[in-house]
Amino acid sequence: MPDRYLEVVEPEDNVATALRELEAGETVTVGVGDTERTVEVSDDVQFGHKIAIEDIAAGETITKYGKSIGNATEDISAGTWVHVHNVESNYGRGDLADETETAAVSE
Amino acid sequence: MSEFLGYEREDGSIGIRNHVAIISTAPYANDTVKRAADIVENAVPITHPLGRCQTKPDVFQTYRTLLGYGTHPNVYGTVVVAHAGEIVDGDELAEDVAETGRPSESVNIHREKGVMNGLKTTVNAAKDMVQEASNQNRVRADMSNLTFGINCATSDTTSGLCQHKATAKAVWRLIDEHGGRGCFAETPEFFGGENELSERAVNDEVRQEILDRVENWNQRLQATGYDVRGAQPTPDNMDGGLTTIEEKSLGALVKSGDGPIQDIIDYGAKIPDESGMYIMDTPGHGAESVTGIGAGGAHFMVISTGQGHTLSNAIMPTIKITGNPGSAERVPEQTDVDVSEALVGDETFDWAGEQLWDEISDVVNGKLTMSEAMGESQFAIHRIGPST
Repeated sequence: MPDRYLEVVEPEDNVATALRELEAGETVTVGVGDTERTVEVSDDVQFGHKIAIEDIAAGETITKYGKSIGNATEDISAGTWVHVHNVESNYGRGDLADETETAAVSE
Repeated sequence: MSEFLGYEREDGSIGIRNHVAIISTAPYANDTVKRAADIVENAVPITHPLGRCQTKPDVFQTYRTLLGYGTHPNVYGTVVVAHAGEIVDGDELAEDVAETGRPSESVNIHREKGVMNGLKTTVNAAKDMVQEASNQNRVRADMSNLTFGINCATSDTTSGLCQHKATAKAVWRLIDEHGGRGCFAETPEFFGGENELSERAVNDEVRQEILDRVENWNQRLQATGYDVRGAQPTPDNMDGGLTTIEEKSLGALVKSGDGPIQDIIDYGAKIPDESGMYIMDTPGHGAESVTGIGAGGAHFMVISTGQGHTLSNAIMPTIKITGNPGSAERVPEQTDVDVSEALVGDETFDWAGEQLWDEISDVVNGKLTMSEAMGESQFAIHRIGPST
């Protein structure tokens, strides 16, 4: 039986949201669409935070709701806590913007 | 419920509250407004730091927002208080309010020879209006008159998984079953979900307008030269498990359901009378987006929160709903409706939608929200550019 306190929104997602506290070392079974996946949790995870449900290489897309929520900044193995320390957004990155492109932008 | 008891206005709108608004046109009238509202029972102070030394787009936006409050369906009458000759003209604002048939007075502190006389004139005008308003009875009105404002606040990962689903069910019930309107906002919180959202537009023009406005926000943020992470998602969002603005957005959009989008309108602009779902182009900053939706004339606002939030509006009652089982315990005064049993218990999302609908029915008919009972209210007009 999949753990009802681990929610995967769409079958193509590679992260699950914890609806209970997770402890490092526990083994959990996650429902993914019509299938199940079992992973070992490698970090303590707070209520509401996410774990990877498959291995994700640095630079790959993190998928939730069936869509990109950013890219992995390092290799993330299944069962690892996924949060701001290992994911980055692709929006609002003024620090990466080309000056010549943004110079013309004003209200 | 297909009818509610509301207050009829001369311009045909129906209010669910009968407030008297005391509106400041500039920071230098704020103290007079606050003092007058302290004295007069049931008068609502509307103060802000704008209305002076602004460029034209900002003047227009400030004026439109203040006028939206002066002419809001929940407002019986308005006293406008100006300091001197402001760029937002107090006399003009009071005249524009009066055009809707509402009692309207204009007070100018310079004309009154200072704050003492200005305060006295403001108090007397507001006192008379409050007394008249208290003599007006509620009448039966059709629910098609109602406009449902939607916002999220202190979102966390439970928001998109639970409480936003209940909000979506309630707003589409008002639109589909009763012919009302819904309005959500927070354009930068469409990042990552803009393509699917724009596909819901009723025509290609609206579809393109949604995409253009999302891109405009992305460019405005990039033009600052800073990495927006840390500003979005906010630290409280991140505590609650949200990792990126895209994740926040995809969850945030759940509260709008999946029905058609009629139009995307400017900040503080009047929400159209035709039934359906609208978007207002606002920042994700809750106080600013809620202030804009209030100016648009939404009768009430559902704030769907993860971690709990004080965000509320004095003119437009705000109902706070959470699906995070810890939040209802942590901040009980910030929780009108707790639907966490649908997330971690045995209840369904249909049940959650019903819980919210029942609360809305009560509030529309006069029940005070938690924030109304607590006297909580924030007001913040979004500013586009620098002061001059």
